[in-house]
Amino acid sequence: MRQRHIFGTVFTVEAAIAGAVFLAVLGLLAWTLLRHRGTRPPAAAERSERPRLEAYYVGALAAFAVFLVAWTAWQNHREHPAAGPRPLRVDVTGFQWCWTFRYPGSPAHRSVTGTCEGRDMPTLVVPAGRTVQLRLTSRDVVHSLWVPGLRYKTDAFPHHVNTLTLTLDRAGRWRGRCAEFCGQRHHTMDFWIKAVPPRAYDRWVHGGTATV
Amino acid sequence: MTLAPSTRARPDDSGRPVPPGGWLGWISTTDHKRVGLLTAATSLVLLLLMGVLALLMRGQLARPEETFLGPHLYDQVFTVHGSGMIYLVMTPFALGLGVYLVPLQTGAPGIALPRLTLLGYWLYAFGALTLLAGFATPTGAHAAGWFSYPPLADAEYSPGTGSDLWIVGVFLAVTGAILQGWAVLWTILRRRTRGMTMLRLPVFCWAMIATCLMVIGAFPALLAALTLLAAGRADASLFASNAWNIGYQHLFWFYGHPVVYVMFFPYLAAVAEVLAVFCGRRFFGYRGTVLSLLVFAALSMSVWGHHMFATGQAANDYYSLTSIALLVPAGVEYFGMLGTVLGARPRLRTPMLFALAFIPQFLIGGLTGIMVGTPVIDYHVTDSYFVVAHLHYVLFAGSAFGLFAAVYFWFPKVTGVLLDEGMGRLHFWLLVAGTNLTFLPMFALGYLGMPRRVSTYAAFDGFGTLNLLAGIGAALLAAGMAVFVVNVLRTLHARRLGRARPAGDDPWDGHTLEWATPSPPPRLNFPADRPLPPVTSFAPLLDLKRREGSRA
Repeated sequence: MRQRHIFGTVFTVEAAIAGAVFLAVLGLLAWTLLRHRGTRPPAAAERSERPRLEAYYVGALAAFAVFLVAWTAWQNHREHPAAGPRPLRVDVTGFQWCWTFRYPGSPAHRSVTGTCEGRDMPTLVVPAGRTVQLRLTSRDVVHSLWVPGLRYKTDAFPHHVNTLTLTLDRAGRWRGRCAEFCGQRHHTMDFWIKAVPPRAYDRWVHGGTATV
Repeated sequence: MTLAPSTRARPDDSGRPVPPGGWLGWISTTDHKRVGLLTAATSLVLLLLMGVLALLMRGQLARPEETFLGPHLYDQVFTVHGSGMIYLVMTPFALGLGVYLVPLQTGAPGIALPRLTLLGYWLYAFGALTLLAGFATPTGAHAAGWFSYPPLADAEYSPGTGSDLWIVGVFLAVTGAILQGWAVLWTILRRRTRGMTMLRLPVFCWAMIATCLMVIGAFPALLAALTLLAAGRADASLFASNAWNIGYQHLFWFYGHPVVYVMFFPYLAAVAEVLAVFCGRRFFGYRGTVLSLLVFAALSMSVWGHHMFATGQAANDYYSLTSIALLVPAGVEYFGMLGTVLGARPRLRTPMLFALAFIPQFLIGGLTGIMVGTPVIDYHVTDSYFVVAHLHYVLFAGSAFGLFAAVYFWFPKVTGVLLDEGMGRLHFWLLVAGTNLTFLPMFALGYLGMPRRVSTYAAFDGFGTLNLLAGIGAALLAAGMAVFVVNVLRTLHARRLGRARPAGDDPWDGHTLEWATPSPPPRLNFPADRPLPPVTSFAPLLDLKRREGSRA
């Protein structure tokens, strides 16, 4: 859930700043349009260059850019810490048009897939609270694994492996989607990601279906 | 659009193999005004066609689980809409505006490289026809999106001639744009009139310099990417290597981001000219704006990786730095526009309405641009409807409003008659309502998890209401565009019958040299018996009027 929290912080800050800037500009425009309604035209005094004022706002813009770059880069690094000890590894393969989830560390080499047609959506089952490392690739074209509820996605390329590390703090079920256009059934390429208590996960990975 | 009734014999027609008034005269012209008009008019016709495709898409998405278009047709429609708007509408119109206006604004009798400029138009027109011909092939038009990543766009996953035609069409059109870019740049550098130093160029000409530098510097990368794609369609083993798959994305976006500013600067500058003229004062912060345009163009070459934050194969911190740094030159341009408007008493004619709406509407696109340039936010919103909303605020709520400001502003110069003010206002208000109703809900859709390029969505996704709102907005946009078409056709018809109100040489109290010549301008732009006013600044006609005012 780390991604969701960091996204929330950065998005809130940037949206608030953007909203303030937008309202300020809109307010200035409205003021200038309404101010002279029905009054005499203003004196033709104008200065089309004000170097000092211009230097001030360039400086302010540059300082703001420096803050934004540094702060968001720091947040980005906070979002991608070095993987902790022994994450659970799941190999994820995207294909036209569904997903396969393989558990190479599980005793039975458990694997989940589906057709992504109708209700036949595969479920990626993970233990709640444990770090999971998804090793992401594709069998054909570029796909992208997106879990909107976690505010995160990573592309799945053929002939290349990307890793996506996540920890789901609590049990629950989230919708996953393909975000990169991948052909005619791109819109059906949905899956579920389900976090279950560790003990239930152990039962499931040994072949049980009780909780899933 | 003919410049003069073809029945009227011209004295210089005698002995010419091709009469200038006929269609052959038009397509073989070396008059930059005609080439500019051909380019701009072709792109306006294509704008209407791409708008129809957009309506089809909004119709398909207005309700969940709709089957009106079907996935394959929907994919063709969104691909041609995106490719068409970028390669065939916003870029060519911007360059066509430059081809028409730059020689006039610099006081030149013609464009540098006139035949190459005409060849540029032909390549563009044939490219457009080639791309659209895809719809006539058995497998339909290309259907892999305007950026057509391999391997999806290779011969295995996108079989059919439509994709080949798409590659050829885009290649031709972009080559044409490069030729026109060179011609416009060369005209500014080499054909300025006496007294017009570089720092007395109008803002629009400076924006065209920055634009053409990006066209020349970045567009060849698209030609390289298309060549790579064509090679990969001939030999599919090419894309069995990740290096070429990700390499295509790098090549493509090296073109794909500067092109956004190619589709922005000329419209921004048209807005700047309109704001200055209708406020009756000089554009504020001219030197700062010139410098910021150049810095912006230079930086634009180093930001492409922000389209690839989610690939896991780009240096995200670096591209985030260069992208966010753009807010400095963009901010300077915004202060320039605000400084021009603040404290003035603007005349609110149609071009000014579009220019004023550009300011807050483009700002939404720019501010959300900073957000999607932040990796932490982009991981969630990239390839979602949030990005669709962002890019339409930039290109439609921004650039297209600049385009219409330009059309209403320069129409009297080009044709000699004014467009109808009442219909112009109706067009404007329908467009403002339609634009925001269509694209504002898309931010929420993307945030809530709707991926872009889905041909439908499930009822329980909960995207229905917002998509329906967007559909209603699209209908308003269609109504607005219909008003615009009727306005243009009626005005041109009245002009042909000689019933239109003549606009005169300078209907808006313009600042730049194109307003110091008859409307429409003669073949060599400025009549021999009427000396050009002295070029005393970047607003020579304003200086002239002030001098005359103080003398009286």
